[in-house]
Amino acid sequence: MIEADVAIIGGGPGGYVCGIRAAQLGLKTVVIESDRLGGECVNYGCIPSKSLITVAKLVDKVKEAEKYGVRTSGVSVDFVQLQKWKSEVVSRLVGGIELLLRGYHATVLHGEAEVVDKNRVVVTTSQGKEEVSCKNLVLATGTRTSSLPGLEFDGDMVIGSKEGLELKAAPNRVLIVGGGAIGLEFASMLQKLGSSVTVVEIMDQLLPGSDPEVVRVVHRKLEGKGAKVFVKSKVARIDKKSSEVEVEIETPDGKQTMAFDKVLVSVGRKPRTEKLNLAKIGVQIDTRGYITTDNRMQTNVQGVYAIGDVKGPPLLAHKASKEGIVAAECIAGLPSAADWKVVPDAVFCDPEVASVGLTEAKAMEAGYAVKRSRFQFAALGRALTAGEPEGFVKIVSDEKDGLVLGVQIVGPEASDLISEVALAIEMGATVEDIALTVHPHPTFPEAIMEASESSSGKPIHQLKS
Amino acid sequence: MEFKLPDLGEGITEGEILKWMTKEGDQVKEDQPIVEVMTDKVNVQIPSPRSGRVTKILVKEGDVAKVGQTILVIDDGSGAGSSQSPAPAAPGPAPSVAMAPAPQVQSSGPSSGVLATPATRRMARELGVDIGKVTGSGPQGRVTDDDVRRSVSSRGTTTVTVQPAQPSQKAGPREEVVPLRGLRRTIAERMTKSLRTTAQVTHVDEADMTELVLLREAFKGSAEKRGVHLTYLPFIIKALVPALKEFPYVNASLDEQASNIILKKYYNIGIATDTEQGLVVPVVKDVDRKDMFELAGEIENLSQKARSGQLTLEDVHGSTFTITNVGALGGLFATPIINIPEAAILGLHKIAKRPVVRDGKVEIRDTTYLSLSFDHRVFDGAYAARFTSRVIETIQDTKKLLAEVL
Repeated sequence: MIEADVAIIGGGPGGYVCGIRAAQLGLKTVVIESDRLGGECVNYGCIPSKSLITVAKLVDKVKEAEKYGVRTSGVSVDFVQLQKWKSEVVSRLVGGIELLLRGYHATVLHGEAEVVDKNRVVVTTSQGKEEVSCKNLVLATGTRTSSLPGLEFDGDMVIGSKEGLELKAAPNRVLIVGGGAIGLEFASMLQKLGSSVTVVEIMDQLLPGSDPEVVRVVHRKLEGKGAKVFVKSKVARIDKKSSEVEVEIETPDGKQTMAFDKVLVSVGRKPRTEKLNLAKIGVQIDTRGYITTDNRMQTNVQGVYAIGDVKGPPLLAHKASKEGIVAAECIAGLPSAADWKVVPDAVFCDPEVASVGLTEAKAMEAGYAVKRSRFQFAALGRALTAGEPEGFVKIVSDEKDGLVLGVQIVGPEASDLISEVALAIEMGATVEDIALTVHPHPTFPEAIMEASESSSGKPIHQLKS
Repeated sequence: MEFKLPDLGEGITEGEILKWMTKEGDQVKEDQPIVEVMTDKVNVQIPSPRSGRVTKILVKEGDVAKVGQTILVIDDGSGAGSSQSPAPAAPGPAPSVAMAPAPQVQSSGPSSGVLATPATRRMARELGVDIGKVTGSGPQGRVTDDDVRRSVSSRGTTTVTVQPAQPSQKAGPREEVVPLRGLRRTIAERMTKSLRTTAQVTHVDEADMTELVLLREAFKGSAEKRGVHLTYLPFIIKALVPALKEFPYVNASLDEQASNIILKKYYNIGIATDTEQGLVVPVVKDVDRKDMFELAGEIENLSQKARSGQLTLEDVHGSTFTITNVGALGGLFATPIINIPEAAILGLHKIAKRPVVRDGKVEIRDTTYLSLSFDHRVFDGAYAARFTSRVIETIQDTKKLLAEVL
């Protein structure tokens, strides 16, 4: 039996970060992982998808290289080599996590954990059962892909995101069911790798909940490159043939029947809590099965904490990591809390979309006197020199005092640009603060400065509207 | 009913809860003392305004409460403010326990609406401050590090429920932690405030006490007949009166906000008194209208009350000038700290036989040093020197002094 101050079930971006911090704080720490350390993010999500997206973007650049005076003689993708490289990236990160945990003297157990009670976890490892007696328990088991009735995964023609990242070739015709973050990343990526892409989304826009102006840019680009996008639509029926799937799509303009080689379903996720024995230990869950906690990550049961996706949306690795740190610090007796104002998010579709804080609609709903300002990348030197002039930066601020309430970016490097404004919001900066900060030229972040200047009423590189 | 900290006297806006003499659940009677409060002057025991049961004590011992702040809830049957007590059982269906909603668990940060940097928010957590209750002094009302620190030092308004920061409680090896509480804290605050808010200068002069020593000897017997022990203090106080009248800016205070100097036409002398708990300053009122024996009696009475902790608010209120006498403890002279809001304080020191040059010859005389610390905002050094000379002149001239003391 292993005795521990804290047992963490799940070694994903929530659990492993929690483990490192707990061990740093001198707690005897056990991290239990049933699959591979790094969790969904490192193994089946963020990291492999960004690897593939980077390559897809490179392929796309090469295809249009002639425009820049670069002559190529065609481009083809060696999927075996691509997948090998991607796996190397993933393995390197997974190895690094194990190294870090062990380096801080946390114990890593590989096996399925079953919660007996709040102080006892039994782990089935390859060497047999191991019992962990723990003073504190951190539940960091995350989520798993959920499927749609009638669209169950078969691992071949109807697949989820995990299989989508293991493809041996770009399918000729692919249907993506679900136009959220994951669906759109696949859509942009597979399109660049040569697939003919169709997206079906049940809501009235792609990336539901995002600023419609932002989404329009992505939608237009997808369609501009030949994709078919159906919103307010759903799959009515599928018929698996020997070499293709026939799908009937119900759109506002009537039914359409189309044939695909692959159907990739990305319609959300559900909490992974089966082995946690939540009912017995009395941990409270919400109506969708997600665990609820206070802002110190403690559930309604003393000594039982939950972090990351298992707590529900937004399902974001960086949020899970920060929550892991908070949980570890609280367990160590420090006055830690999740008191950040905002959690930024980024979607690696084309162009990238990133957002932090309130959208224009949400700010109005919250009763702010909303001021909005935009700056188009088409007017930015760096964007033109990079050949990526699509998109804009949109700043939502408080008309009253200029406080930055939220920022949406669609365009080149949006995922990297968003951190500056996340910091601005955390610091309580005004649009004037950003406008008065010197940004180097020529760079993408100048767009944020320009949008802020525009909000202050003194834009340089655009005409006053 | 909610029991609010009552008005404790002029100019007193807050008090430290020294000791609860009751606890939650206790029955208390009207007029029964329930709490001991330390004001910036003195401790007072406050009686219960009603009979009833104590349902909630809202301010911990050692915390500071503002006048008017609710410090205690008493269930006196009136119902008001007694929400903490269970409601009387009403006939009807028993509440369904099984269906009771689980405690509401918050999932978002409580400070998300507060304008403060992440580091400031963390500092607030570490200091146990609810940042949502801190008034921000920065642009757009943002809460700064200083605002958070200030709210810690003025605990009571904002943070009656918070724990003191842990790290400061830890003693190192070969160290002992003594919490700054009660009188010690009051002295610390008042002294710092005095030095921080005034422009203090100390003027030192020498007085020949030979005549006064003889004079006191002469009066000692008749004082004892009246049952009082005669020290030098009543003589010095009496010597001060004509000087204070002649130099009105010494018996004054500066009202900084109104930019006014208030000259006081009454002469209440504070006597700095050393007690086991620390320094207290009882006040002898209207010294110009009392004779030396009356003063001697009052001083004795006040110092006894001070040492036994019996001083009332009335005893410590309203001084216009203060004397601190450390003569019995030795030393040459000192730089006393002004008892704000007064304009000056006089330090009396050891009377000793010292060689003095008189008429070109060295003589052995009883002498002492007088240290006058004064607020240079109110008057200048020359004024202070002339005032001190005037005091010394009276002390040294038995005829003049006799005219004053009797």
